[in-house]
Amino acid sequence: MEVGMTRPIRLLIVDDEQRLVETLSKRLTARGLYVEGVHSGPEALAVIQARPFDVALLDVRMPGMDGIAVLREAKKLQPLLQVIMLSGNASINAAVEGMRLGALEYLLKPANLDDVLAKIEEAFKKKRLEEEHLASQRQAGG
Amino acid sequence: MRRLLRRLLRIDRWKPLEARPDATAALHLKYLTFRDLSTSNDEILEVIAEIERRLEGGPTFGMAFVRSSAVTAASHAYRMIQKLDALSNRRYPELSARFSEIQQAVESILDRGPMREGGPYVVPLAKVTVGDLDHVGGKSANLGELRNRAGLPVPEGFAVTTGACIDFFAANQLQGEIRALLQGLDVQDLESVSATAAAIREAIVAAALPPALEDAILAGYARLAGSVGSEPRVALRSSALGEDGELSFAGQYLSLLNVPADEIVAAYKEVVAGLYTPRAIAYRAIRGIPDEDVPMGVACLVMVDAVASGVACSVDPNRPELPRMVINGSWGLGIGTVEGGVSPDAWTVAKDGGYTILTRSAGSKETSVEALARGGVAAVPVPPERRPSLCLTDPQVAELAGLVLAAESHFGAPQEVEWALDRAGRLVLLQTRPVHTSSGRGEREAAPAEVEGHPRLLTGVSAAAGCASGPVFLSSGPEDIAGFPDGAVLVARKSNPQYVRVMDRAAAIVADIGAATGHMASLAREFGLPAVLDTHAATATLAAGAVITVDGDRGAIYAGRVESLLAGASERRPAGMSGTPVHAVLAEVAKFVVTLNLTDPKSSEFTAASCRTFHDIARFAHEKAFEEMFRVSDRVSYGELRSLPLRARLPFRVHIIDLGGGLRRRPGAASLRPEDVSSVPMRALLAGMTNPELRWWQPKPLSVGGVASVTTQAIFTPFVEYGERRLGDRSYAIVAESYCNFSSRIGYHFAAVDCFCGDSPSRNYISFRFKGGAADEARRVNRCVLLERILRELDFQVERQGDLVNARIRKYDLDATLARLDQLGRLIVATRQLDMRMGQRASVDWYVRAFMEGNYLFDPEFGREGGDRDRERNGPDSC
Repeated sequence: MEVGMTRPIRLLIVDDEQRLVETLSKRLTARGLYVEGVHSGPEALAVIQARPFDVALLDVRMPGMDGIAVLREAKKLQPLLQVIMLSGNASINAAVEGMRLGALEYLLKPANLDDVLAKIEEAFKKKRLEEEHLASQRQAGG
Repeated sequence: MRRLLRRLLRIDRWKPLEARPDATAALHLKYLTFRDLSTSNDEILEVIAEIERRLEGGPTFGMAFVRSSAVTAASHAYRMIQKLDALSNRRYPELSARFSEIQQAVESILDRGPMREGGPYVVPLAKVTVGDLDHVGGKSANLGELRNRAGLPVPEGFAVTTGACIDFFAANQLQGEIRALLQGLDVQDLESVSATAAAIREAIVAAALPPALEDAILAGYARLAGSVGSEPRVALRSSALGEDGELSFAGQYLSLLNVPADEIVAAYKEVVAGLYTPRAIAYRAIRGIPDEDVPMGVACLVMVDAVASGVACSVDPNRPELPRMVINGSWGLGIGTVEGGVSPDAWTVAKDGGYTILTRSAGSKETSVEALARGGVAAVPVPPERRPSLCLTDPQVAELAGLVLAAESHFGAPQEVEWALDRAGRLVLLQTRPVHTSSGRGEREAAPAEVEGHPRLLTGVSAAAGCASGPVFLSSGPEDIAGFPDGAVLVARKSNPQYVRVMDRAAAIVADIGAATGHMASLAREFGLPAVLDTHAATATLAAGAVITVDGDRGAIYAGRVESLLAGASERRPAGMSGTPVHAVLAEVAKFVVTLNLTDPKSSEFTAASCRTFHDIARFAHEKAFEEMFRVSDRVSYGELRSLPLRARLPFRVHIIDLGGGLRRRPGAASLRPEDVSSVPMRALLAGMTNPELRWWQPKPLSVGGVASVTTQAIFTPFVEYGERRLGDRSYAIVAESYCNFSSRIGYHFAAVDCFCGDSPSRNYISFRFKGGAADEARRVNRCVLLERILRELDFQVERQGDLVNARIRKYDLDATLARLDQLGRLIVATRQLDMRMGQRASVDWYVRAFMEGNYLFDPEFGREGGDRDRERNGPDSC
């Protein structure tokens, strides 16, 4: 049932804080992930429309389009994309809204890199399981 | 009847799995949903364990921890409800309503901001007393009290209220922005604290005052100018809630001196922004004070053009039992003395009614702080000929002593007073607050020159009592303390209250320059840190990294670790959070997050409507999710997919559900035998759990003499009765050919194994989780310590938080993974029988060894001649 890591996890980081995106990208790339970073909601959606990702780390508070709006649209574009919200805003309401829209986690900054990596790996596992499920369903249908 | 039988037989007829992909897919989806729910359950348990740890005195924490714990617990409780809804087709709609109620309760605790009670923005000092503490903050309240009730000389001025600050923040939505910035902050990371503090201060200073507030401040100043007959320069001083009260906040906030009329508004914002200096943030974090609780009042006082100024204490802070007081002073404005940058003049004065001066000593006083014509102040060198002369005459010392004692008798407690002498020779008091004294150890002799081969390296002013040892950390200023190691002795050039940032980690403090009446000394006493100041040569004499012993009682520093001094030293006050406001907030939040009311699934109270905490919701949703899983499998009922009870010699019942390839079918069988299990990992786990050496069905070996057996009795007693007799205490396993998920629960006690193992080691893992058990905290923790140790022996990576154990191994090859599963199975059964009592931690070693040797009954006589078997029946009845 469980799946190991057989190819690099494709991760998208969305945060208006440029330094955070850079640091995280560098450190997670060093851990063997394929990482792309963008700094706004619209940019994120453009990238998500263009190519598949496994996991997105999504900032909640961004100027213009906020993370919740991005989550809503992203799930329409790639329903299997696993979204981990990463926020400085400790609001239960925001967290619940994120979960309602299908986010996997609502992590609060500052998050420990190992924790974030563990969540990403867990998210990837979950995505693989959901993919397997879809495959078996298709098999059933066809 | 016959038709029914035929149908059953037909259904039960073996079919390859692919023939039923629809059923498999449906079950698979349920399983994924269940898995999400389980993951969230794990997350909540982790948050709960961490909250319990912090409440019991774990690492220090601030509101950011409280908030993030609440948010994590809430979000995962919500997700569990979502997933249970999906699994059960919304069978428990009540759960969402309960969730909202709990969420509201938690939010109302977290969002409790400062109360804004209306009232004016500005109050003349002539109308302030300590009764106005909440409105004007500590400093203004104390000054008003001195002026209006004690009749002591203080500068004219007015108080800007704490309400003004609250409205200022609210008008600019600063509170939310500040909260967000602080949420992302690790208080131990000194660099990021500095950066965040700067960003917050910048935001405050850049914000505009509401026009009504600005008008009120300017009108207050105009009134002040009218009453003194000129346009005076003013001093704006912080007057935060809580400042100058029980907690000193000594020197943590900001004073701006010699401010011209047209800069008052800017200065006001700057003083308010002083709430967020790195040292103030650190001080509140260490002291457990939520930022929301400290709106800043500001005292705006006519500037005293001081010839000399300083600090006076109505008792000797280090020898409070002696009838004497201490006065420090230096030329110019008082900043030098209180911030510790100058070696001041010092007097001790007898509290004998006649103000007899017991001692006088002239400080070096190289610099003085003077007011500048254009506004502001600057440190300037004191002409060499003026340095040796005392800055107060004997009659002035006596007069000051009289004022200080008047303050003490008015407040009814020892006071620490800032004073100034103006050009007309008048003494005024600039602030007063309760003294933090060291609890002395009775009579003190002079520090001996040498203690048993430890040369005395330095002597100085004893500024805070106690004795401690550690390696030297040399600091030329508070900006270079980034790498300060735990347990080091801070050796500073000058004393400075900014060093508060390392006071929770330092062993002791030594400085070349500084006074016992300064802010840093006051903080050192508050933190229970021994401090020796005014040593003149500490930074030149002491080598970085060298271990020294600081005798704060007698003002001496010795080479090495002087056990004889340390042995008698008073215990350092623990830096635990108990008793702090943040601790209280966490305890309140815990009532809605941690408390578990739903303990018994068979109870009529085990309902969605009874859930009162996030823990309840998690417990309820997890239990019901299992039910749903087995409900679906019963409904599906395609032979190979049905949930079946396992018949095996186990101390609990196990029901197994197969996702594909995990069970071998025996037509018509209503239960499973161990050999029917084809799931590779489940077989290994079962082999462990049914290992004949476990012999859990036998009575425990009881004491028949021998020291070891007595110890056993003291530490372990049989765990609760076996699960077979307890309906509802089922254990469940969800299996596939290369996968198993096993979980069991009795009451509070929860154990779960999740494993995948196949031929490719990179995909293999085992994750094991254990929580709680029906016992008191100490016993639960002890049992987990034992588990942790055994799991490490088995090469697991283990994390333990209180009574929650998380263990995993990854990427072992198939055989190695299966061997660990076998051991894990034995461990689950062996520890189920044990209830570890409080005992000597050392005895855990014995239990670890016993387990590793296969002594699963933890029999002290194990392996000896005659063995345990002879005594199996030796219960109390037969003795």
